[in-house]
Amino acid sequence: MRKMANIATQAAQALLANKGRALLTILGIVIGIASVIALLGIGQGASNSITGRIATLGNSTLTVVPGGSAAAGLEGGGGGGGQADQNSSSGMPFTSMAGSSLSEKDLAELQATERHPSIRAVAGVVSASTILEIHGHQQRVPLTGVTPAYFSIYGLKAQHGRLLGDEDAKEKRLVLGSQVAADLYGGDDPTGRQIKVEGQEFTIVGVLAASEESAFRNPNDQLYIPAAVAMERLGIKNYGSLVVQAAGDGQVGLAAAEARTTLLETHAIADPKLADFSILSPQDLVAVTQQVAGTLTALLTSIAAISLVVGGIGIMNIMLVSVTERTREIGLRKAVGAKTRDILFQFLLEAVILTLAGSALGILLGFGVGDLAGTLLGFPPVITPRAIALAIVVAAAVGLVFGLYPAAKAARLNPIDALRYG
Amino acid sequence: MQPLIELLQVTKTYQSGPEKLQALKGIDLAVARGEFVAITGPSGSGKSTLMHILGLLDTPTAGTYLLNGQDVTRISKGRQAEMRNREIGFVFQQFNLLPRATVLENVLLPTVYDNAPPPVARAREVIEMVGLGDHIRHKGNQLSGGQMQRVAIARALIMGPALLLADEPTGNLDSVTSLEIMELFRMANRRGTTVVLITHEPDIARLADRTVELRDGRITHRARGGRR
Repeated sequence: MRKMANIATQAAQALLANKGRALLTILGIVIGIASVIALLGIGQGASNSITGRIATLGNSTLTVVPGGSAAAGLEGGGGGGGQADQNSSSGMPFTSMAGSSLSEKDLAELQATERHPSIRAVAGVVSASTILEIHGHQQRVPLTGVTPAYFSIYGLKAQHGRLLGDEDAKEKRLVLGSQVAADLYGGDDPTGRQIKVEGQEFTIVGVLAASEESAFRNPNDQLYIPAAVAMERLGIKNYGSLVVQAAGDGQVGLAAAEARTTLLETHAIADPKLADFSILSPQDLVAVTQQVAGTLTALLTSIAAISLVVGGIGIMNIMLVSVTERTREIGLRKAVGAKTRDILFQFLLEAVILTLAGSALGILLGFGVGDLAGTLLGFPPVITPRAIALAIVVAAAVGLVFGLYPAAKAARLNPIDALRYG
Repeated sequence: MQPLIELLQVTKTYQSGPEKLQALKGIDLAVARGEFVAITGPSGSGKSTLMHILGLLDTPTAGTYLLNGQDVTRISKGRQAEMRNREIGFVFQQFNLLPRATVLENVLLPTVYDNAPPPVARAREVIEMVGLGDHIRHKGNQLSGGQMQRVAIARALIMGPALLLADEPTGNLDSVTSLEIMELFRMANRRGTTVVLITHEPDIARLADRTVELRDGRITHRARGGRR
C-alpha cells in the first residue's frame, strides 16, 4: 500500500532527525546482539575445532576401554588410546590399571582377523608415566606399553633406528617420541644408547618421526616400551585399552560390532548391557563433544539474550519519552487525517527500524569480538548464516514487543488534547 | 443550494467530576459554500468546542451536523479521519509545524495519509501561492512566525479541502503580519474554499463576510462583515 510506504518514510525521517538519540537508544540492542553473535560463533568455532582434532585420531580406529559405560570411559580420558593423564595425576611413578578386563586372550581373539573381516589390526596399550632426568631436571614423561601393531595403526614412523617388533616383546627396549629424544639428546641419534627408567636400564632402539598431536594424545612426548614389559613392571596382567583399526573408513561400525561380539564371547557375557568394556569410536567422541559444546553455547547465549531484553526495555523507555515529546506532532497528524492505526504503525515501525539497525551494528560488532576472542583462544569463530538470521529475527521481535506499548500510547492520544499539549 | 455546513440544535456536554458542563447549548448554524465566516466570542464561550465539532475532532452530544449534505454526526473515527484528510484543512494559533522537517515536508504532511505518492508539484504550487517559493528547503524552526503560519496555510490547502478551519490564526502574530495572513485566507476563499475563522479579535473578525458571536454556548449575534 502506498500509504504504508508514505508512513514508513515518515518513520525513517523522524529517526534520522535525531540520529544521536537513535544511536544511544539502540546501544543496548547492539551490545546484546553482538554478545549473542560472538558467543554463538565462539561456541561453534570451539566445537568445530575439537571435532577437527578428534578427526586426527583417524576415522577408522576404535578404542576398547574397560568399564561398562561409554561415558565412564570418556571421563577417564581414555578415548584416544592412552590413560596418561589419569595416571600421571596419581603421583606414583608406575601406576597400574588394576581391574582392567582386557586380557591377552582378548587381544589374541581380536587379532584373529580371518574371523573378523572388518578388523585390520589390533594393539594392546598400557599407559603409565615415569620420571626422567632431562638436563638435570626431573620431568614426568608419559610411558606407553604397546604391542607392535600400535605404531602402524597410528601411522607412527621411525626417524632413527626402528620400531618395536614382536622380537622385543620381553626385552627392556624402548622407542622415544621425537620431543623426548630432542629434549634428551638434541638432534643426535640416540639409537643403541642405554637409558634408565625406574632404575632399569633400557636400550633405545629407535626414535619416532614427529607426528601430529591429536585431541587426547601427543605421540611426540611419550616413551614406548613393549606392553608385556610394562605389565610386568606394573604387576598387572591386562591391557589398559585396546586399539582396533577397522579395515576401512566405512567399516568402523562393523568392526565395532565384531569386536563387541568377540569380547562378549571371550568374557562369557550373554547380555550386552552387562558388558565390562566399552567401545569408543571417534564419532562417539565427536557427538559427545558437540553435545557439550552445544549445551555450553546455549547457556552462554541465553545469558547474552537477557541483555537483549534489557536493551528492549531501554528502547521502550526512550520511545515513551519520545511519544510524550511528540504529543503535539501526534495531535497534528491526527488532525490532518492520520487514523489510530496509522500512528500505531508509524511508532511500531520506528521501534522495529531501531532494533533492526541495532542488530545490524551488533552483528558487525559480534564479528569483531568473535575474531578477537578467536585470536586469543586459538581457533576461528564460526558465525553461521543461521546465527545472523536468528539475530535479525530476535531484534525485530524485540522491537515489536517493546515498541507496542509506546506505539499504542501514541495511537490512543486524543487529537484535541494532544494539540493543546505543552 | 445545499449549505456546506449545517448544524441543527447541536449541544455538547462535558462531564467534569460531579458537574455537567454544557459547552454548547443548541447551536443552529449554516455556512454556505464559498462563505468566509468569523466566529467570535470571549474565552469560555464555546467557540473552541464548536470548532472541534466542525473539524470532526469531536462529536456533538446531541443534534445533527451535516457536512456537504452528509450527516457526519456519528460516523466512525476512521471515517472522521478520512474526512479531515480530504475535506477539511486546519490552521492553528500555534502553527504546529514539524520543527526539523522542511517547508516542503511540512506541506506534504496531510498527503502522507492519502493512498497516493506525495504530490510534490502540487505542494510547490501551494507554497508559491502563500509566498514562500524561496523557502521550500528551509526547516520549520528556521522561519519567522508569519512564515510558519504561511506554511500552515499551504499545508491546510494541499489536499484541496472544501473547508478551511482556522483557530485564532493570528493570535501569535503582530498586526501587520496578521493582515498578511488574513489576505491569504481571503485569497483561498476567492479560489472557492469556504473559510471558518475563530477569533476573539474584533479587528480580525471584521475582515470576514459575516460574524457569528458566541456567548455561554449560544449564538447571541449574527452580523454581515464590514469589509465590503
